[in-house]
Amino acid sequence: MANLSPFDIQARPNRLLMQAFSCLIFIVCIGFYMQTSISRHRENPEDRIVPSGHQLLAGIRSAVLEPAEEDDYIPADNASTWERVHHSMIWKDTVSSGRRFFISLFLLIPAVILALHIGLFPWFGAGFLRFVLFFDKIVALSLLPILFIVFGIDEWSKIALVVIGVAPTMILDVTQMVKAVPQEQIVKAFTLDANNFDVAYRVVFRQILPQVINSLRLNLKPMMLFLFAGEMIAASDGLAYRIAIMRRHMGMDIILPYVLWVAFLLFLIDFSLRVINRRLHPWFQA
Amino acid sequence: MVSGLSTLEMTPPLNAARETKSLDTMTTAPVRTATAIHIDDVSVSFPTGRKGCRTVLENISLDIEEGEFVVLLGETGCGKSTLLRLILGQDRPTSGRISVAGSLVQRVDARSSYVPQKYSLFPDRTVLENLAMGPETSKYHILGRLLPSFRAFRRQVREEALRQLSHMGLQASDAAKYPHQLSGGMQQRVAIAQALMMKSRVLLMDEAFSALDPATRSNLQRLLRTVWGETKPTVVFVTHNTAEALILGTRVIVLARQSREDHCGSRVALDMKLPASGMSLRNNGQQFLDLVEHVERFSRGDHHAPSADLDAANGPYESPNAFPSNGETL
Repeated sequence: MANLSPFDIQARPNRLLMQAFSCLIFIVCIGFYMQTSISRHRENPEDRIVPSGHQLLAGIRSAVLEPAEEDDYIPADNASTWERVHHSMIWKDTVSSGRRFFISLFLLIPAVILALHIGLFPWFGAGFLRFVLFFDKIVALSLLPILFIVFGIDEWSKIALVVIGVAPTMILDVTQMVKAVPQEQIVKAFTLDANNFDVAYRVVFRQILPQVINSLRLNLKPMMLFLFAGEMIAASDGLAYRIAIMRRHMGMDIILPYVLWVAFLLFLIDFSLRVINRRLHPWFQA
Repeated sequence: MVSGLSTLEMTPPLNAARETKSLDTMTTAPVRTATAIHIDDVSVSFPTGRKGCRTVLENISLDIEEGEFVVLLGETGCGKSTLLRLILGQDRPTSGRISVAGSLVQRVDARSSYVPQKYSLFPDRTVLENLAMGPETSKYHILGRLLPSFRAFRRQVREEALRQLSHMGLQASDAAKYPHQLSGGMQQRVAIAQALMMKSRVLLMDEAFSALDPATRSNLQRLLRTVWGETKPTVVFVTHNTAEALILGTRVIVLARQSREDHCGSRVALDMKLPASGMSLRNNGQQFLDLVEHVERFSRGDHHAPSADLDAANGPYESPNAFPSNGETL
């Protein structure tokens, strides 16, 4: 008889039982949602707060196949599904949010390079480390009005918010990684007649790169957070903009699919970064 | 054994040309030809707390000749690794000066090769890449790798690396492995091979075999002796194991602290030449054991108690050429 006590550290439940148990909370949540939805629809068949399965499907269909309200695009009657998806609301929002996201991701590369120099070159450390430590303590969202004034309310203020929000933490994190590289490695590289840039980029950077990618994976969520904050306050498209707009219409049939879609996208980015990390760095054991 | 020693002293200076060339860059430090490492009145101390100051090394002066196998011996915390780091250029002496291969040591560079105890290999490179790293980077730095001639050069270096690998007793199949897939002994083998690829005349080893099990350790000791016998580089080997020191070295230098107080740093307690053919328990038997005991008495710092059988034990060796004078001052 298997030990079923949940408070036994040494319990060894079988695999099937574990798998089933891990699904339990998901099933409970879905069941609770359905129960609420059904009971609310019994009182008011037009209820929009907890949409039923039919309403959700209709919402997803309109998000995926129909253009956004503010667009003038009218699909031809014989337009293919791809044509419709390509001009749909969710496509438009994903592309514009994704573009901001990837531009900020790209702008984090110089931050990582700077961090490498701060950790390795004493003069860079003396020059930048204290400032970054100070800057890290500034709440990025409190800078948002300043960013709006400086960059205007279009794309660059949101991108700047993401970068300013995440970069200081990334820099401090990467600096720590650089300092954790054993001194022996650096000394050894110099005895192998490496110059300063060989040591920085071909010894230290190569070694910390998998850790940097892992740190980036952890920072995906804060990046998305800053992006959404920017989009909800001032944007004319984007995933967070749509969620904020739909709140006015009580459009839960759109909001819920959007929330899950964003979660799925983040998971996909995280997963691909993990796979890339494993492929590129077979020597890395974490 | 004495004859082996004299041939050593008569060895023509291998890097005389290099030394005379660099003489003009050196103005003050006196350089004798065939002196590979010159340590001139070096002291190291560092501040502890508000006004405390701890002296690690005190007035160390040594001349290490080209082709010598010097073993630095001492108890934990006696500053033997610090002395090695000074020779390497990783640390700076508080006073005094150190020159290697005829010029002053200011920073870590390719004059000396280095084999540390841990982290001796680059974990992100395969064994072959680790071996090829030295020659590759010294000829082609980071942007030079883009030159078209680099590829041919790399092929050539890799062939040489493979030769070196089999010379060090490793299989060709190990070449594609990452360091974490190798055992500790194999890793140190590769690390020595990597250092040898640079063909520098000075090899510095910091407790290189201390983390290995006894069997692997004696294998590597034999390997190191063989490799040293082939090209006769100057080796400075730091260890706390007296038997290892006697097996490997042609010269044993014992560092010891006079007292436990902070202001009192380690000095050279014993500087002893050993036969160049090497010693072992099997060949030298009781003499070896007596010598171990003799050396350990110095590294503990209680060599004042004279032992009557000491001279008998040391009879055949050219041993007490430094320690009476140094020993008295201690």
